Amino acid sequence: MLYIHQSTCISPQQTFLDVNIDVLHEPVENKLKVIEPTYEDIPPGILRRMAKAVRIGVGAALPIIKNFSHIDGFIIGTSNAGMEDCIKFLNQIIQYEEGVLTPSNFVQSTPNALAGQLGLLTKNKGYNITHVHRGLAFENAIVDAMMMLHDHPENNYLLSAVDETSAYNYNIDRLSGWYKKEVVTCEQFYQTNSTGSISGESAIAFLVSGEKVNATARLAAIHTLHTEEEMLIEKQLQYFLEKNLPAGEKIDLLISGENGDNRLLKYYTTVENILDDNITIARFKHMAGEYATASAFAVWLSCQILQTQYIPLHMLKKSIPQSNTKNILVYNNYKGSQHSFILITKEN
Amino acid sequence: MISAIGNTVAENRTALQEGKCGITSLSLLSSKYAGIMPFGEIKITTEELKKKLNATEPGVTRTSLLALHAFNEAINDSKLSSEEIISFDTALIGASTVGGMCLTDELYNDANKKDGGSEYLSSYDCASVNIYLQERYKMNGPVNTINTACSSSANAIMYGSRLIKSGRAKRAIVGGVDSLAKFTINGFNALHILSSDICTPFDEQRKGLNLGEGAAFLILEKEEDTIGKKIYAVVSGYCNSNDSFHPSSLSDEGDGPYLAMKGALDMANLRKDEISFINAHGTATENNDAVESTAMLRLFGKVPAFASTKSNIGHTLAAAGAIEAVYSILNLTHQEVYPSLHYNRPITKTGLVPVQTYQKMPLQHVMSNSFGFAGNCSSLIFSTI
Amino acid sequence: METAALKQQLKKQIVEFLNLLSIKPEDIKDDEPLFGAGLGLDSIDSLELIVLLGREYGIEIKDPKEGRKILVDINTMVAYIEQHRTK
Repeated sequence: MLYIHQSTCISPQQTFLDVNIDVLHEPVENKLKVIEPTYEDIPPGILRRMAKAVRIGVGAALPIIKNFSHIDGFIIGTSNAGMEDCIKFLNQIIQYEEGVLTPSNFVQSTPNALAGQLGLLTKNKGYNITHVHRGLAFENAIVDAMMMLHDHPENNYLLSAVDETSAYNYNIDRLSGWYKKEVVTCEQFYQTNSTGSISGESAIAFLVSGEKVNATARLAAIHTLHTEEEMLIEKQLQYFLEKNLPAGEKIDLLISGENGDNRLLKYYTTVENILDDNITIARFKHMAGEYATASAFAVWLSCQILQTQYIPLHMLKKSIPQSNTKNILVYNNYKGSQHSFILITKEN
Repeated sequence: MISAIGNTVAENRTALQEGKCGITSLSLLSSKYAGIMPFGEIKITTEELKKKLNATEPGVTRTSLLALHAFNEAINDSKLSSEEIISFDTALIGASTVGGMCLTDELYNDANKKDGGSEYLSSYDCASVNIYLQERYKMNGPVNTINTACSSSANAIMYGSRLIKSGRAKRAIVGGVDSLAKFTINGFNALHILSSDICTPFDEQRKGLNLGEGAAFLILEKEEDTIGKKIYAVVSGYCNSNDSFHPSSLSDEGDGPYLAMKGALDMANLRKDEISFINAHGTATENNDAVESTAMLRLFGKVPAFASTKSNIGHTLAAAGAIEAVYSILNLTHQEVYPSLHYNRPITKTGLVPVQTYQKMPLQHVMSNSFGFAGNCSSLIFSTI
Repeated sequence: METAALKQQLKKQIVEFLNLLSIKPEDIKDDEPLFGAGLGLDSIDSLELIVLLGREYGIEIKDPKEGRKILVDINTMVAYIEQHRTK
């Protein structure tokens, strides 16, 4: 069993420390960039060297680490952390023709730099791993944490997901046609009948354990698949719900990763059609943008919604009045081929 | 598998028995360091690999091709059926640190938006390798890519084992790959840990590592599912721990390596004297070999026979864990150990001497170590059936 | 260039090159140890400073261990630059 006890989120919205998700910060030229805190707790000597992904990843983890000394390991999911420094180093290689180069860009360019830094800061010698499977990086980290907690339910892990929009990975994804050509606002975001989405980023950390008492939420089940066929998604979702939803219960809220890309709408429609008519549907990518570990933002939102029983108006695609949100299904896909279903339920 | 000393497991074994060294001057990769430093380069061009593997579609990188080559050998050797490969309970867990970044010029152009976009736009990340294999073989089970620097494929083996143990997979194809790239060559050179000579693991005069390239895959299954099948060894213990000392070097006391080795021993429920042989990480950097020696002494007291196969093929980064797992399994299957090459005299501080000649040896449990940047340390134990 | 001016320039370059966020160039004392207790730089910084010497002053240092003997404090660095600069 995986129980979420604490969660933090550094994102393009007001989600860190003083959380207010009613306020909506707009993308600028189709980019949603994180609002960075002041990092008072990171020693300047260490902060100076951190690439952005490491900086926001550590920033998100610190409030949890500060108050909870006994973490047994760090399980990180990321797809492009380090990419900025990777290209900076590459630019050096080209500029100086493989001459004498500064090593810190290279050292910071490895995706496991964040996990390493967290281990360093906490002097933690426990389990330390980085999953990098693109749009399922965070999902694989969840499965890893589930397996660890199954074997060691008394343990506590920091489960985290980070991705940043560096100029470089933005260029690469833009060339591939993953971002809208026309500039959009949050309001227009889901209405445009065009290809592409907007870029986003976040750093999200969860303190997870096998302990139910005082947990915010339970991450009850997860399933991933790699496909472009709607029929397979339909079958797999039906099986997922049958297997994991307790008898007599239903999904109260679907948090959908719909991202404004008209090529991918069919997958979200397929999922909506399987679910009961009587459920609320909310969307989140107008808040955080599209990136490989966006599903972590949806999981963070789920924790907020389960605690407050409140969903901001701007998230609602369809609203059904109900007394209690207990079971949340997160459905997300990345670039139309990597799909995940995550079931999060209220505890306590 | 594929490495600088052979294109198959059998070729690698023969080369190891003969003490063959595949570390030479670069002849295929164009770099300022060709002729200046030695590398464990696989002397097959990317074009040849594409033709041989029937993988000429756009966007396929050298890294993916090396992985495909090793993957094919593993599948054929295990005689996995096509139904089993596409089954929802067959996992693919791979590892790479280079991914498509072996294509320096294309990545530079695409990242800096110089042209209209190359054919490699979705091939640069580490995941691209496993996604390529998954799509080519139409795999439906869990797929994951791990990047913990030099311990990546050791962690992939661990992760695959755990998926099976937890019932999330029935079988797991696990492994890793990395190809030589200007990116890693220049990165390691900027850290001054590349040697301009052939590497000398565990030697007092060692000057640094030689980078190599390669790939290896293994098929893991539960014992009860292996009736009637050829089994090479048991994955009997493993552990992942963190040195938490410095982003790119290990602490003098070697807590990370020590804890990884100890954790693997504890999991395998073995006494220290039951480890017959260690395939050391042994990169020949001043830092690693001294710390690994210290950690081995700390744990074992009387250190078992050990050697570093990086003296044959160089440091293959993410592929190292998987390649060296296969080498450890060869040790067990054939009850033999291979010499650590280019060694002259022991590190003064620790005095440990690696195996220097090929010999038959009774072996029951072999340990394989992989330690990487960011303090990521992993140790695996393989045992006879 | 005069020694005093060179010291000032070097301090500015070190702060920028190593991204020393909380330190102003004028705060670095000439005889303050760069590594360990003083400025608190580490092994990666020493490699970066070697690159700095190469790019700004045309000085080549091949062995990082030799480099550490030069990179003691601002005084030793400036003395070495004055003797060996090619730019």
